[in-house]
Amino acid sequence: MSSSGDSLVQRVEQLTTFYVGNELFGIEVMKVQEVTGNPQVIPVPLAPEFVRGLVNLRGQIATAIGLSELFAQKKSHDDLSEMSVVCKSEGNLISLVVDSIGDVVEVDGHKFEKTPDTVPQTLRRFVKGVYKMDGILLSVLDIETIFKELSTDSESTSGRS
Amino acid sequence: MSSFSQEEIEEFKVEAQELMDTAEKGLLALDQDGDFKTCFDSIFRSFHNLKGGSGMMEFLDLQAHTHELETIFMGFKEKTSIPKSYINLFLRGVDAARSILEGEKVIFDFLVKEDEAENTSPQPIQVAEQIEEGHLKIAELAPVIQEEQESQSSSGYEIPDEVMGEFLAEVEETIDNISKKLQLIEKKEYDKELVDNLYRDVHSLKGSAYLFSFHKMGDIAHAMESSLETVRNGTHLPSDRLLDCLFKSLRVLEALAIKMKKKECDEGFTKVVPVVVKALTFASGKLEKIPEETIAQVLSLQEEVAALLPAETLIQDEIVKLEEAVMSIPAQVTSVVKEKEAEGVSSIRVPVALLDSLMTLMGEMVLVRNQVLQYSNKTEDLEFSSMSKRLNVVTSEIQEEMMKTRMQPIGNVLEKFNRVVRDLSHDLKKSISLVIQGAETELDKSLLEAVKDPLTHIVRNSCDHGIETPDIRKQCGKVDTGTIIIKSYHEGGQVVIEVTDDGKGLHKDQLIKKAIEKGIITSAQATQLSDKEAFDLIFAPGFSTAAQITNVSGRGVGMDVVRTNIEKIGGTVELSGKAGAGTAIKIKIPLTLAIVPALIVKCGQGTFAIPQVKIEELVRVDPESENKIEMLHGSPVYRLRGDILPLVDLNKVLGQQEGSDNYGDRVVNIAILNAETFSFGVIVDEIQDTVDIVVKPLNRLLKSLQVYAGATILGDGSISLIFDVMGISKMAQLGQEKSKNKVEEDKGHKMSDLQELLLIKLNSPTKHALALNYVQRLEEFETDEIEYSGDERAIRYRGNILPLVSVNEQLGYSIEKGEREKVSVVVIERAGKLYGVEVNEILDTFSTIVEVKEPIKKHTGIFGNINTDEELIVVIDPFELIGKAFDIDGILPKFDSKLLDRPLGIDGRGGTILLVEDTVYFRKAIKAVLEKRGYEVLVAQDGKEALEILNKEYSRIDLIVSDIEMPRMNGFQMAKEIRKNPAYSKVPLLAVSSKADKDYRREGMNSGFDMYLEKLKPEVLLAAISELWPEERKAA
Repeated sequence: MSSSGDSLVQRVEQLTTFYVGNELFGIEVMKVQEVTGNPQVIPVPLAPEFVRGLVNLRGQIATAIGLSELFAQKKSHDDLSEMSVVCKSEGNLISLVVDSIGDVVEVDGHKFEKTPDTVPQTLRRFVKGVYKMDGILLSVLDIETIFKELSTDSESTSGRS
Repeated sequence: MSSFSQEEIEEFKVEAQELMDTAEKGLLALDQDGDFKTCFDSIFRSFHNLKGGSGMMEFLDLQAHTHELETIFMGFKEKTSIPKSYINLFLRGVDAARSILEGEKVIFDFLVKEDEAENTSPQPIQVAEQIEEGHLKIAELAPVIQEEQESQSSSGYEIPDEVMGEFLAEVEETIDNISKKLQLIEKKEYDKELVDNLYRDVHSLKGSAYLFSFHKMGDIAHAMESSLETVRNGTHLPSDRLLDCLFKSLRVLEALAIKMKKKECDEGFTKVVPVVVKALTFASGKLEKIPEETIAQVLSLQEEVAALLPAETLIQDEIVKLEEAVMSIPAQVTSVVKEKEAEGVSSIRVPVALLDSLMTLMGEMVLVRNQVLQYSNKTEDLEFSSMSKRLNVVTSEIQEEMMKTRMQPIGNVLEKFNRVVRDLSHDLKKSISLVIQGAETELDKSLLEAVKDPLTHIVRNSCDHGIETPDIRKQCGKVDTGTIIIKSYHEGGQVVIEVTDDGKGLHKDQLIKKAIEKGIITSAQATQLSDKEAFDLIFAPGFSTAAQITNVSGRGVGMDVVRTNIEKIGGTVELSGKAGAGTAIKIKIPLTLAIVPALIVKCGQGTFAIPQVKIEELVRVDPESENKIEMLHGSPVYRLRGDILPLVDLNKVLGQQEGSDNYGDRVVNIAILNAETFSFGVIVDEIQDTVDIVVKPLNRLLKSLQVYAGATILGDGSISLIFDVMGISKMAQLGQEKSKNKVEEDKGHKMSDLQELLLIKLNSPTKHALALNYVQRLEEFETDEIEYSGDERAIRYRGNILPLVSVNEQLGYSIEKGEREKVSVVVIERAGKLYGVEVNEILDTFSTIVEVKEPIKKHTGIFGNINTDEELIVVIDPFELIGKAFDIDGILPKFDSKLLDRPLGIDGRGGTILLVEDTVYFRKAIKAVLEKRGYEVLVAQDGKEALEILNKEYSRIDLIVSDIEMPRMNGFQMAKEIRKNPAYSKVPLLAVSSKADKDYRREGMNSGFDMYLEKLKPEVLLAAISELWPEERKAA
C-alpha cells in the first residue's frame, strides 16, 4: 500500500487494512490487539449467521465475526486463508474474520470522505467513511459502531428464536 | 499540609469502616450485657483511632465528630454499664460517622451529653487498671508523638545518618533488654545480678541518649535509673507500682525511639516526660525497706503494702494525668500504628482486581499445565514426564491456594445483623436475640457481597413478620424473647446459610388467601397446592405477607427479589415452617462464582457444560430398557418412576441437525434438569465428565441467546458453551404456565377440574365416597363411648353431643352389631350443627376428573356414581343422609311441588342462571341439575368473576345461585355489590351454602340474598328457583 505520511496537513491516522471480498477495509490501528491466523472456532448454535463462534485466545474468549457474512457478501474464498483481526471493545474481545490482511497504512484527513449514499445500507451502517488511496478506496470500519449495531440487532432478533 | 493520594484515602476509608464496625460490635455487645471493660476498651480504642486517623487524613468533620463521641464516651469510664439511651446515641453516632466518611454533611445531635455525661467525669481507678494491665497501647501514645509535626527534632546536633542508625538500633536493643528483665522481676525471678544488669542497661541508655542530646529520653532513663537505685543497693524491694511505672516509661521510650527514627519532633512528649519522671521518683520513694531477716517480718510486709495504698492512689493520679495528656491531643495514629502492626499482623490488603487477574492467569496456567501433561503422555522422556507430574501437583496446589485468597469468613456479613436486629427490635418494640453460628465459614468475596442484601432482607422479614411482640409470645406460651438463628456451614461443595426464627411461622391458608387476593393464583389452583407450593407463593413477585405495610419490610418487593438475587449467583432458596412455630429459610450457594462444577455433554459437534446444581439425575435408555422414550403428540416423554417427564432434544433446540425421532432403537442419554418449579429431561448425544469450569461471560452480541449462561475453556483448550437451564426450558416452551403440573397438562385437563373425594368402606362390595368439601373432621371413637338417647346414638364431642348416622343403616346395607371396638366417623357440619356419619372404615382420599353421573335408580342419600377405569364408586350425599335420619328437612322452606311442574318458558328454554360456586364438585353437580331442568347455566368461580360476568351479560341473566364461602370475594360481598348496581340490582339471588346456621342466614339476607338454602336436594333447589323466578320472565 502506498503511504502518504509525508504531508502532515491534518490528523494522520494509522489503519490496519484487510480485504473482505475485493474490498479494502481499515480499522484504527490502536483498536487492534493482534492479527492471527486461522484459529479453531467453536460454533455457537442459534447465534446470528455472522457469528462464526468462539475462539480461545490464550485463555480469553473472543467472539469471531465473519465480516463477509456481516456485509452480506458472497464467499469467494477458501476458509483456510482467512485471517483474524482481534479488537477489544468495552472489555469484549472480538475477532473479525477477514479474507486477507493488508498493510498498516498512514492516511491523512484530506483524503477522507463520507461514505457515498450508494453504498448498500447493510454495509454503510458499519463504515465511518472512505479514504481515497492510489488505485483503491479504503473503507474505514468503526469497531464501536459494529458493536452497537450488532448488539441492537441481536437483541431485536432474539425474541423470535 | 499536602493532601493524600486517592489510594491512601481509600485505604483510610477501609480502615475507618473497620474501626466503626468494631465500635458498633462493642456497643452491641454492651447492649447485650457483654463484659463492660473489654467492650469499653475496644469501643474507646475504635473511637480514638478513628479520631486520630481522620485528623491525619484531613477528614476534619469526621475528626470533630468522633472527638465528641469519644469525649462523651469517656464519661462512662468508671461506670459498669452504659444506659441504653447512650448506646443508641453512640450507635447513631457511628452511623453519622459513616455518612460523614462518605462525604455527607451530617448535623449530629449530641444532646444526651448535656444532662448525664457531664456528671460522669472520669475517675482514676479504671485508667490505672488499664495501665496496670498494660492496656495502654502504643496507639494511645502515638498522638503525643505526632502532636507538633512542624517543630524540629530535639536533638541539637546534626547526627550523621549511619551513626544515628546505630544509636537507634542500640536503643531498641537496650529497651528490649530492659523490658525482658523487668518482666523477670515482675515474676519475682530476680537476683542481684539481674538487677545489676538492669541498672547497667538503663544507665547506658541514659548515657547514650544524653550523648546524642536526646534529652527527653535521657531524662526518662535517668529517672528510671534513680528509681532503681535503692533496689540495686539491696535495701529495698521493687514494688508492683514501680514496675508499672518502669514499663510505662519503657513504652514512652519506645515511642520516642520510633519518633527519632522518622526524624520527627518529639515535642509532644514535653508534657509526658516530667509526668513519667515524677511518677518514677514517687514510686521509688515509697519503696519499703527490705526487712531484716525473719519470715514473720516478710509476712508483715503485706500490711505495710496495704498501708501504702493512699500513696498508690497518688501515683495513679499522676498516671491518669499522663494518660489524659495522651488522650487530649488529637491523635495521629494511623501511620505509627501501621508501622507497628506490620510486624505483628501477618495480613496485607490487596486490591480485588489484582486477585482477579491472578485468577485469570491461574486459569491460563492450568491450561498450559494440561497441555504439558498431554504432551508428556506422548513422549518417552522419563525426566520430562516426572517434571510435568510435579508441575501438575504444584499447579493444582497453587490453584487451590489461589481460590482461598478470595475467601472471606461469612461472619463479616453476619455480624452486621447484630445491629440490624437490635435496631429493629427496638423500633418494633419486640425482644429479639440473634444467634450466629458458623461465622467462620468461608466463601468467595463476591458471593459474600451478593448474599448480603438478600440475607438482610430475610433477617428484617423475620424481625418484622416472624417474631411476635412479647405480649403475643406470652399468650402463645413462648418466651418473651424471640430468637433468630443464622447458621452457616459447608455441605457438599456448597455453602448453606439457614435463617431460622421461632416466630409465628407461615400459615398456609393466609398465604393462599393473600395470593388469591393479589391474583397470583386462582382459587381453583389454590385448592390443589401442597404445603411446599403454598410456601413458595411467598417468592412470587408482588407478594408480601405483612398484613399492613410497615417501614421495616413488606413493600411487596421482598422475597421474589431475594430469590432472584440468590439464583443469580447460582444458589437456591428453600422455605419451610410451621404455623406458630417459626420459619426456616435455607439458602444454598456455591462456594465461589468463579469456579462451578459442571457436567460436560456432547451434542452435535459441540461440547456444552450444564451447571451441576441444576442436574437432578442422569438416565440412560437403551433399546433393552424397560421404560422407553415414548412419543406423545409428537413430543418425546419418558416415564420416570411412574411420572411422565417431558423431554427436550437438545439437537432440535439448538437446531443443529434433523435429529430423528426414532429414540427406540438407540442408546439415549438423558440429563434430568431442574428448572425451579418443574423438571425436564434433555436428550444429549453423549455425557462426558464432571469438571470444574471457570465461567466467562459471553460477548454482548450473544447475551440475547437465552440458552447460554456463558462460556468456558476446558482443560484441552477447547471452548464449551454453558447452558442456562431456564433458557432451554423457555426455548422448548416448557413450563410456560407457571408451576402448572406438566403431567396434568399432557392429559389435557386443567387442575381446576379435579374433585376431591373421601373413600369410605361400607358393608357393600362397592366402594363409596363423599365429597371432601363436606368433611369437617375424621374421627375414630371407642364403641363404648357411644351413648343412647332413645333410638338415637350420639357421642360427646368437643363439649357437645354429636348425633351419629350410620350410613349402612340409611342406605339399607346389612348392619353388624357391637362387633367392632372402634367406629370411624366422618364429622359433617350441617346448618351449624355437627353430625357424625358412621362408616366402616375411612380408606383414602382421591382426586378425579371423572364427572359424577346421576344414579340410574334414585335413592335417598346417594348423589351419583363415578365410573373410573377400574371400578364404580358410589358417591353419597351426607346432607341428605342426615336429613333423612333426623328428619330435619322439615325446617327447610316448603315449596309447592306444583312449582316444579310450571312450564319453563315458551321455547322450552328455561332462562339463564348464573351459578357462582368455587367447589368443583358442587359446581358440576348443581350445574347438571339445572341444565337437566332446562336452564342455561353460566358459571363463575367466585364473587369477583361473577360480577365480571354480570357486568357483561346482565341482560340475559335471570337469576343467580351462589355459594357463600368463596375465595377473593365471598357471597355476602358479592350480594352487596350486586344490590348496589342499578343495572342488575333486581336479579333474584339465591344462596346455597353448606354453612347455614342462623347467623349465616341472617347475614345472607342482610347482604341482599332473597333466599338462603343449605346445599341439599336438587328438588328443593329447583323449587326455590321457581319460587324466586322473576315474574315478568315467568310470564314470558
